[in-house]
Amino acid sequence: MNFLAPAFLLGLGALALPVIAHVLGRQPPRDVPFAAVRFLPVAELVVSQRRTIRDRGLLVVRLLLLALAVLVFSRPALRHEGPLRVVAQVHDCVLLVDGSGSMALRLGGSPHLQHAVDQASAILDALPTGSKVGLWTSDPGGPRVEPTADPSRVREALERWVEDGAPRWGAWRLADALPGAAAMLPEVGGRPRYIYAVGDRFAGGSTELPADFAGIPVVPIPATEEEAPEHVALLGATWEPAADLDPRAVRVMTTVRRTGSAGEETPREIAVALHIAGEEVARTTVSLVPGAEQHVEFTPTLSDDAEVQATISIVDDDADPLPIDDERHLWLSAERGLEVVVVNGDPSELRAHDEVYFFNTAIAASQGSGHPRVVMRSMAPDQLEQDLRQRGAQALRGVDVLVLANVQAPAADVAEPLLAAVRGGMGLWITAGDRLDPKAYNASLLPLLPLRMRDAVEVGTAPGRAEARVEHLAPPVLSHPIFVGLRDAAGLETSRARKIVLLEPEAARPHDVALSFTSGAPALLTSTYGRGRVALLTTTIDRDWADLPLRPGFVPLVLGTLSFLGDASSNLAHRHVRLGEPLRIAGETPVMVSTPEGREVAVRPDKDGDLVFTETYLPGHYRIRQSGADASMFVVEVDPAESTTSATKAVEAPVLGETSSFVSKPQWRLLLLGLVVLLAIESSWRWRSRGVNRP
Amino acid sequence: MTAEALGSLVPEDVRALLRTQSLRLGRPIYGRGFGRHASTRVGPGREFRDHRPYVPGDDPRRLDWKAFARRDRLVLRQTESEDELTLALLVDGGGGMGYGAGAEGKFTFAASIAASLAYLAHAQGDPVVYAMRGGPLPATTTLRLRRASESLATLAEALRHHRPSGVSAWTELLEAASHVLPPGSLVVVLSDLLDPGGRGRPEDDERMLAGLQHLRARRHDVLLVQVLHRDEVDFPWTEDRPLRFVDLWNQRPPVEGAALAMRSTYLEALQTHLRAWDDEASRRGLMLERITTNAPLAETIARLLRRLGEHRASLR
Repeated sequence: MNFLAPAFLLGLGALALPVIAHVLGRQPPRDVPFAAVRFLPVAELVVSQRRTIRDRGLLVVRLLLLALAVLVFSRPALRHEGPLRVVAQVHDCVLLVDGSGSMALRLGGSPHLQHAVDQASAILDALPTGSKVGLWTSDPGGPRVEPTADPSRVREALERWVEDGAPRWGAWRLADALPGAAAMLPEVGGRPRYIYAVGDRFAGGSTELPADFAGIPVVPIPATEEEAPEHVALLGATWEPAADLDPRAVRVMTTVRRTGSAGEETPREIAVALHIAGEEVARTTVSLVPGAEQHVEFTPTLSDDAEVQATISIVDDDADPLPIDDERHLWLSAERGLEVVVVNGDPSELRAHDEVYFFNTAIAASQGSGHPRVVMRSMAPDQLEQDLRQRGAQALRGVDVLVLANVQAPAADVAEPLLAAVRGGMGLWITAGDRLDPKAYNASLLPLLPLRMRDAVEVGTAPGRAEARVEHLAPPVLSHPIFVGLRDAAGLETSRARKIVLLEPEAARPHDVALSFTSGAPALLTSTYGRGRVALLTTTIDRDWADLPLRPGFVPLVLGTLSFLGDASSNLAHRHVRLGEPLRIAGETPVMVSTPEGREVAVRPDKDGDLVFTETYLPGHYRIRQSGADASMFVVEVDPAESTTSATKAVEAPVLGETSSFVSKPQWRLLLLGLVVLLAIESSWRWRSRGVNRP
Repeated sequence: MTAEALGSLVPEDVRALLRTQSLRLGRPIYGRGFGRHASTRVGPGREFRDHRPYVPGDDPRRLDWKAFARRDRLVLRQTESEDELTLALLVDGGGGMGYGAGAEGKFTFAASIAASLAYLAHAQGDPVVYAMRGGPLPATTTLRLRRASESLATLAEALRHHRPSGVSAWTELLEAASHVLPPGSLVVVLSDLLDPGGRGRPEDDERMLAGLQHLRARRHDVLLVQVLHRDEVDFPWTEDRPLRFVDLWNQRPPVEGAALAMRSTYLEALQTHLRAWDDEASRRGLMLERITTNAPLAETIARLLRRLGEHRASLR
């Protein structure tokens, strides 16, 4: 038994007060005028009155009451030696506590986070006197305590964090929090510094940390050594139109996983239900053995075209130790997709020679692959110009991406409506070809071009390069948003081009290169113009100048480019934001975001002019409103990586000088109960001894 | 005023009782004047006593002619005399008599007895003298002697308005009484006899007893009426809370303590004191009647009268 606030034990000295008061204190005597005073004994009685303790039982009860009150204030705790070891010498340290979603996994009735807090508390108990300790958490919004010699501040911050239900279960990696924790420990006078990282043993947890960071040893401490219990998870959810079934039918897909050791073969029935607009519309049951996954697909038919909230959830599994991944959210729509208008500058009666044949084929092949649904319209150049002349920028209302495929150039008089449409958020993709007129583009659409165009040239015709008449593509810049989800070059680097449009180097024009040739010439560039985005492919999108359409990477390239360009125009219905991840919203004017709990959060441009929504702490459906009307939707989801609760192999911890450590279990709540009982006894005792006999 | 004062001291039921009673001793007395009480001497009474030979100078009207005829010599007829009995009331008005409230107050009770006896003596034509002791000594040491017809009203007023306080100087009072009272008086002392000197000294008890014995030597009959309150007899305090007993004589410091603890000691000391007074009174030829104030007044007076009627101690 030890006391977390031992100074209060001095209060036990107050126990002497009731005894002294009992012995020395006297009740004021009652005066009785009396004639036979001569027969009363005098001396003995006065003395005995002062020394006699009456109501011994009541005195004992009151002394116990006082002692219990003092003990409660001194916060007694039972200590027992634990397996934990901390550095024996005086040092400075930071407790780094994992706040990721997997810490919500319940074990023995408490979430992993509670076990982590207990471990952190044990470290605080075991720290040698004179050490300074700070607090950092992997949750960017978690508590922070600068290193202090008073461990109780850290302890209180941790308890407050857990009791307030503050953890947000984001997909935080413990390793990502190391810089922040290390910044708290500047080197002072050569004092040893350590980071005690307390987290789970799953991916992204305490077992995947480096042995040291910025010269500071990192001591990984698992929140608990016990095996993670089995649980069931939904690993994300996607949807796509199911036009083959019904014009309004959609296909909603998810994967159910049952974690646990694969050795056990007892299958378990797991019910999965689909709710649309709050009503259950479908339910199915899958049978899974531990460690197995099962694909689940629903094909509901929507009643109208508007976006509707859909939720897939595991039902009747209240005992699941990790409930945060038992539910997935989607926005469904029968009609809404990425509206793409393709202006074909070189149509052909032969399908294989048509400028957009491969483009269309790539889009058709992509449907159902998890990419945005694309609703495509084709248009002739003169038809586009006519519409723009007649209706101005309104002709492109609702269009997410306009593709100018080998189009000569829009006429000068329609350039302004086109520029306005792009400034308003529309994406524009210009692909090169024999019909493209660089000078006309430079003249009419220069403000939005990533770079000024020069003439098209045959590659390999330069002096001395007659033998090589093609140019290879270099590996793509995978960090570019176009290639999100692409893990390798997907064969793009094998693509060759015979002819390309050269570009005028111009440092003043900001642009990003997503794809380039081995010679260094850009192949695919992107830039922004107003709220819209622009992409320029310097070769053809069909086989006229290059064999790009024949490569496996062509489909993800087309879809990625369309998604990138259409993203700014708002179709976020397909966007899945990870829990805790900030969301950048296109536009410059303030918007309102409706959260799943019904709050309306105003998002205003920050100092850089960007709209960033940060309150993505609750999984569910979100709606962005602009000027009072729904502009777009998105969902916030738990990262599927947080559902993986299999322990990873621990890295070897640094060697420390050791000292014993203890774990404290609070006992004062039990004492409080005893205090209440004693109070009741004391009250009833006094009530009984009220009566006195007076003549 | 007088009737009202007497009425408050002698209630109607006691008056009814007194109309049927008489104040008499169980033996002949030797009074100063003619009265209703049997006397020890020959006198002009109605009861025949004896004959004696005639001597010249005797009143010829008292010759018994029938006896002369039988004896042939002149004899005189002698009858018993009937004398008056002087009633002396010595009332203790000191602080100790102030205990008790209302009709059960010790002084109130003693005053009622004194007034009742005076009322009865007055009705019989006996002289009543009284002295009340208490308060500052110089003002109260005078023994006043008056005829009953005059003193009854004064006595009632004095008793009614007296507030018990101070110490009774019994020695001086008894000495003065012994010189003033006619021989053969009935002296009734009304007191609690708990602490005659007010200081708890045994010599004060002895002095008072000596004074009473001196009265007895002067051929007075002495009745000691010891008036006690039941609290003094029973000591009923049993509470745990400490009590402070304040001396009504105002002569001793207060005594403080737990009543329950001191009860047995008190009762034992009291009984010893009372037994000592019983023994001394018996030894010195004094009548001692112990009464408590919660007893009915009429019964108490009847008891006292009965005791007087049974008193047959001879004069020495």
